[in-house]
Amino acid sequence: MEEKIMVERFTRSQRVQHFLLLVSFIILIITGLALKFHNSWFGKLIITLEGGVIARGIFHRFAAILLIFVAFYHFFYIIFTRYGHEELLLTFPKFKDFKDAFQSVKFTLGLSTEHPRLDKYAPQHKFQYWAVVAGSFLMIITGLILWYQTQAMLVLPKWVIDITRVVHSYQGVIIAVVILLWHLYIVHLNPKRFPMSRIWIDGKISLEELKVEHPLEYERKYQGLDNEKK
Amino acid sequence: MFFFISFLAQGLAQEFSSNQECKRCHSNPNLKKILPDGKVTSQYVDLDLFYRSVHKKQACVYCHIDGTLSPHKNLQKVNCQRCHFKGNLAGAPSLDRYKEYSESVHGRAIALGNIKAPICQDCHGSHYIFDKSDTLSRTNQEHIPQTCGTCHINIYNVYKVSVHGEALMKKHILVAPSCVDCHGEHDIREHTDPKSTVFLTKVSATCSRCHANKELIKEFNILAEPVETYKESFHGVAIKFGAKTVANCASCHESHAIFKSTDPRSSVYVDNIPRTCGKCHPGASQNFAKGKIHINPAKKEAGIVYYISRFFKYLTLSVMLALVLYIILDLRKKLKVRRTGEE
Repeated sequence: MEEKIMVERFTRSQRVQHFLLLVSFIILIITGLALKFHNSWFGKLIITLEGGVIARGIFHRFAAILLIFVAFYHFFYIIFTRYGHEELLLTFPKFKDFKDAFQSVKFTLGLSTEHPRLDKYAPQHKFQYWAVVAGSFLMIITGLILWYQTQAMLVLPKWVIDITRVVHSYQGVIIAVVILLWHLYIVHLNPKRFPMSRIWIDGKISLEELKVEHPLEYERKYQGLDNEKK
Repeated sequence: MFFFISFLAQGLAQEFSSNQECKRCHSNPNLKKILPDGKVTSQYVDLDLFYRSVHKKQACVYCHIDGTLSPHKNLQKVNCQRCHFKGNLAGAPSLDRYKEYSESVHGRAIALGNIKAPICQDCHGSHYIFDKSDTLSRTNQEHIPQTCGTCHINIYNVYKVSVHGEALMKKHILVAPSCVDCHGEHDIREHTDPKSTVFLTKVSATCSRCHANKELIKEFNILAEPVETYKESFHGVAIKFGAKTVANCASCHESHAIFKSTDPRSSVYVDNIPRTCGKCHPGASQNFAKGKIHINPAKKEAGIVYYISRFFKYLTLSVMLALVLYIILDLRKKLKVRRTGEE
């Protein structure tokens, strides 16, 4: 079998950021859901495994610090590094994304036989990226308010704290749902990728796949490359 | 001679068993005794009252076993366990809960030699022990605060004016809690004892016995929300899983000085909330009082919190639904593509 040409899709820095993010997310989601569903067997089990409700809170806060660190790191990465900034520009939604998304839906429903021609980031990737950004931002803000409740209440009345708690609680569930059902489906359960896409480890994608999935990026960067090989 | 003595003894026994001999002195209201410390105590026994007590059929000497010699002085303290033990032939009730006394804070104090600690008769009375349904009884619900207050006078003074004290002693609401409803009867323990009904992790369960009791809630318009919402709050969850540094009911509402939240004396009166919360949250501001404390996001009374919580609930459900739908459609398409091998 002919050896596939692999090209880099995610740099090492991006992979490290992704890894730290996923570690913090997993801990936050598990410890958070344990508190939300403390009456269920799941909550009881997790809280017991974590060594009690106080220890649960400490785990949650450690993971939160990791998340805040990644958020800051990522912020400086996309603002101050050349490559990071280029990547940021690619994630901005454009009018074409709505057309692509519509085309994608039509294709999935079998109404059209044509795939949308995508660049590096598909509409759902962009949406997920910004959802993670917005979600993390909201969770960090509400989380810090709850963490430093007494200090926050020097400024905020109690009912705002109550709202904060509701928002933090539900937003956490939504993030967990999106990651479990959408992101993990795309990278793990999707028949094309099952059992797992290795891209989060080595960051590499085959040129072949790139050509099919991200034709615009392919044309931009690697147009002549495989022709030369042939 | 022998015959005479035995006759006399029989006669004496008869005299004692019908209390005739004792009556001769002790039915005199002026009979007094001077104690070594100079205090004067009455030695009068009101036999009318005594014959109403649960021990009306017992003779004096059944308990005062060393009282058969006359005149006598410095009789021993009566030991109730002479009759009140399991399997006694006198038919004296002996319940397991009497034994709880020996493990209680009072029983252990006695065992350690604290002569001020109460024994049976300090709470139940000596000659005038009545069934607790009798309004004369020291252990009658309405009289319990006074009985305990004999020693715990400061707490009695605080309790007397509290919402519970007024309900019981002024309004004569007998289901209102007296001391024993929270602290137990014979098995009273220090609040620092994990087995105590008022140990910090047990307080909410103890209060819930009334404050989550559907019949009482109906009868006295008790708010049911606080118990439910406390269980779901950070405080309640943490307590449930054994945390010992979080608030229980009494941390905010006080243990004895409990008042309605509309009463300025209450620790949860709006102006007192910063100080009350500040016990655990140093620097708590007046903002702690801005908004409901026991809030249930699932109920309309929660106001804006309710609507935001509703919004998020439906948002979560629709996101889930949309994603499940997406996965089903996408899987169907991808599997079809794979089967037919065409894009």
